[in-house]
Amino acid sequence: MSRFLVERDDETRVRLSEGMELTKGQSVLAVLGLAVLFAVPDITRLTSLSFQAVHRGILFGLAAVGLNLLLRHTELVSFGHAAFFGVGAYGAAVLASHFDVSSGLLLLFGGVLASTVTAVLIGYFVAGYLDIYFALLTLAFNQVLYAFVLQSGYFNYSDGLSVRPDGLNPPTLFGLQWSSAGYDLILYYFTVVVLVVSLLAMWKLVNSPFGRALDAIGQDRTRARFVGIPVEKYVWIAFAISGVYGGLAGGLFALLQLHVSPDPTLYAFVSGEILFMAILGGFGTLVGPVVGGVVLVYLLIQAPFYVEYYNALTGLVLIAVVLFLPEGILGSIPKIGTGLARRRRDPGLLREDLTTLGSSLRRGANRAVTTVRIIVFGVN
Amino acid sequence: MTTGPLTAAESDGIDRRTLLKTVGGSALAVALAGCTELLEDGEDSLADADVPDEPIESGLQTFTEGAPSVLGVQAQYGAETAVRRINENDGIAGREMNLDVVEEGGAYLTNYQQFVDEGKDVTFGPISSSGHAEMVPEIEAQEVINVSTDGTVTTLYEEDFPDVTYSFRFQNHDVMEALAAVMQAVEVLGSDSIDTYAGINPNYAFGQDEMDLFSRGIEALTGAEEVYSGFPDLGTGDMSTHITEVNGEAPDIVFSSCWGGDATLLLEQGHANGMFDAVDLLVGPVLYGSANDLSEDLVDGPIYSGSRNFYWGEPSTDRWSPAADLVSEVEDEYGVVPTAHFMSGYGAVTAWATAAEKAVRLLGRWPEQEELATVLENHGFFTPAGYHTIGVDHQGYSNAHFGELTWSSDHDAAALADVNVFAAKNVSPPPGETSADWIGSW
Repeated sequence: MSRFLVERDDETRVRLSEGMELTKGQSVLAVLGLAVLFAVPDITRLTSLSFQAVHRGILFGLAAVGLNLLLRHTELVSFGHAAFFGVGAYGAAVLASHFDVSSGLLLLFGGVLASTVTAVLIGYFVAGYLDIYFALLTLAFNQVLYAFVLQSGYFNYSDGLSVRPDGLNPPTLFGLQWSSAGYDLILYYFTVVVLVVSLLAMWKLVNSPFGRALDAIGQDRTRARFVGIPVEKYVWIAFAISGVYGGLAGGLFALLQLHVSPDPTLYAFVSGEILFMAILGGFGTLVGPVVGGVVLVYLLIQAPFYVEYYNALTGLVLIAVVLFLPEGILGSIPKIGTGLARRRRDPGLLREDLTTLGSSLRRGANRAVTTVRIIVFGVN
Repeated sequence: MTTGPLTAAESDGIDRRTLLKTVGGSALAVALAGCTELLEDGEDSLADADVPDEPIESGLQTFTEGAPSVLGVQAQYGAETAVRRINENDGIAGREMNLDVVEEGGAYLTNYQQFVDEGKDVTFGPISSSGHAEMVPEIEAQEVINVSTDGTVTTLYEEDFPDVTYSFRFQNHDVMEALAAVMQAVEVLGSDSIDTYAGINPNYAFGQDEMDLFSRGIEALTGAEEVYSGFPDLGTGDMSTHITEVNGEAPDIVFSSCWGGDATLLLEQGHANGMFDAVDLLVGPVLYGSANDLSEDLVDGPIYSGSRNFYWGEPSTDRWSPAADLVSEVEDEYGVVPTAHFMSGYGAVTAWATAAEKAVRLLGRWPEQEELATVLENHGFFTPAGYHTIGVDHQGYSNAHFGELTWSSDHDAAALADVNVFAAKNVSPPPGETSADWIGSW
């Protein structure tokens, strides 16, 4: 066996680094995913797909990867992660608008720094809380930031700030002033590199002793405390790390949109969207939130061009995912693959599927009626 | 400077022969001016021009839902009406026009980018001033002309982007309606009777811009003192605290640039809290934009509203057939009376379409974006609202209207009475001068 190939569990695996080994199937998927990512500009040029929407989706997906650290491992639901996305975006915008910083990388660094500080501060206050209290506290901090920016002349109220240091042109990237098309392309490839590095870092993190400790915290805080894990401290660190991801995504979003305003970055609905991206793509997987980000953002941006009641359409898609793909798009692929193989062998199973679908819809309707009855009459 | 309103003869003092001559006898320009019956045989067919066969693809972003749709849907109706008239008159230099409409929401940039991705020849909108400011650099980078329907912040083309190529605005900018409000207030109350004023304006670029310009104008003309200025959030559910403050100060004038659902709320809560007993006058440049949303009891009181560059009853529809025809067409088609925001959509499409046809005549072929942008500068054209120009500074200029808010039982909708028409040169600075400097020189 070479340095890059190891034999484990009767299977040859590709070894990327210490402890990071992929099966043959995973390696093929990873290479395919990377190839698709790098080919996105060409794919969108040759098809009617929107390059901007995919790019934006990847950025929101990156924020969802950060949120997933809490959701998947510590089992904490944050309703306020737009705070870090927004602070990252505003950090870059403030440097460009008020301090005429023209380097895109410096703007990004400023955004990440601002979001990290914010995440450390908020994390300090919320790390000791659980369940709904944790969720509501994060939401509350998010709302405070949103309201503050909305009322502040420094952040230009609801009109937001431009990320164009000279008023008309985008910032420089790698020391050069690019044309509009060149800027978009360079920024995209830079985003892909950031995404890949961020995913690898997250993979290392969740597979480290620290990641295992977070899993333990998620499963049972009291037991985790008994085995000597400093629970609040670890949650605080995880919260800060997830804030870094949010800030990174927000900073890149500012460089992409070149204008930052409160509603698309800091509003509580954005937090809900980031949370849903993780669930939609599959929060039990590493890459699922990115897939969820691209799908949801694409749906939100593109649907208005095709459907009049586009909010209803996105709602219906989300309901369908929750009902039929509870493990998310990526998380459900293995199950779907196995199911399809079984139905190819035994087509009779399709009839059973229809029966199951009918009964689950009936059960869902019954549950809804019961819930409405409880809400209206107070008892079932 | 002249501050008085124009007489009716000055504002519509143009006969049919002159109009036909002015628009060049083009079927399209005449049709969009609303005067198709003037057409004679022998219209230049532009047959020799090298023009592609495929239809022109255009996109409009506007508010189609929520409180701002009071304005946005009117702009949509206006743009659709203009496109329908273009296609009924054999298109622009023979090219038919398609229009896609998308909800503006907060997605100004992505909407514009998507339109460009789809290969649109031109885009229109947005309604929002902050959205317009956000879009201008992107429009300059993408080099596909956008004619904004509204987005009327004065500083946009005066200070923020004084030298642009592809970004235009059809609707009169804020200084024109804020100063029309100043002059209307002076005419109603008399400058000697105005000692104090207050403002309730939406808390974003447009509201702040309008309040600033009104303050400069009213102080320059009357020496009045500001006693209160409140900025409720756009789309707020409650203005009562601001109204209470105003009632406490009892100023001579309240100025409000509230629009859409905010305008309705201001009038509702103003009546409920006795604001119209406490103040002598409310002047609101865009209250009338909510005409189809207002009830009879809400327009009762000393309330005067602007109607930007179009009010359907001025000049009288008895004497001005294009406006009369438009009103009946819009009432039949959509069941509403057209407001100034209808003309925002109609005028933005008309500005571009008439300039495109002019460019084809000049070049003998379909123009490039940059050539069309050059023709749009200093371009003049008619709509049923009268004569409009797009200045070299890319702003729209035409008469500004102001009148007393009243009720029309004929149309079962809010209307304006005793409408004053202010010429553009009397309510906006000469090219090259900023509004603040110009008002400061009065």
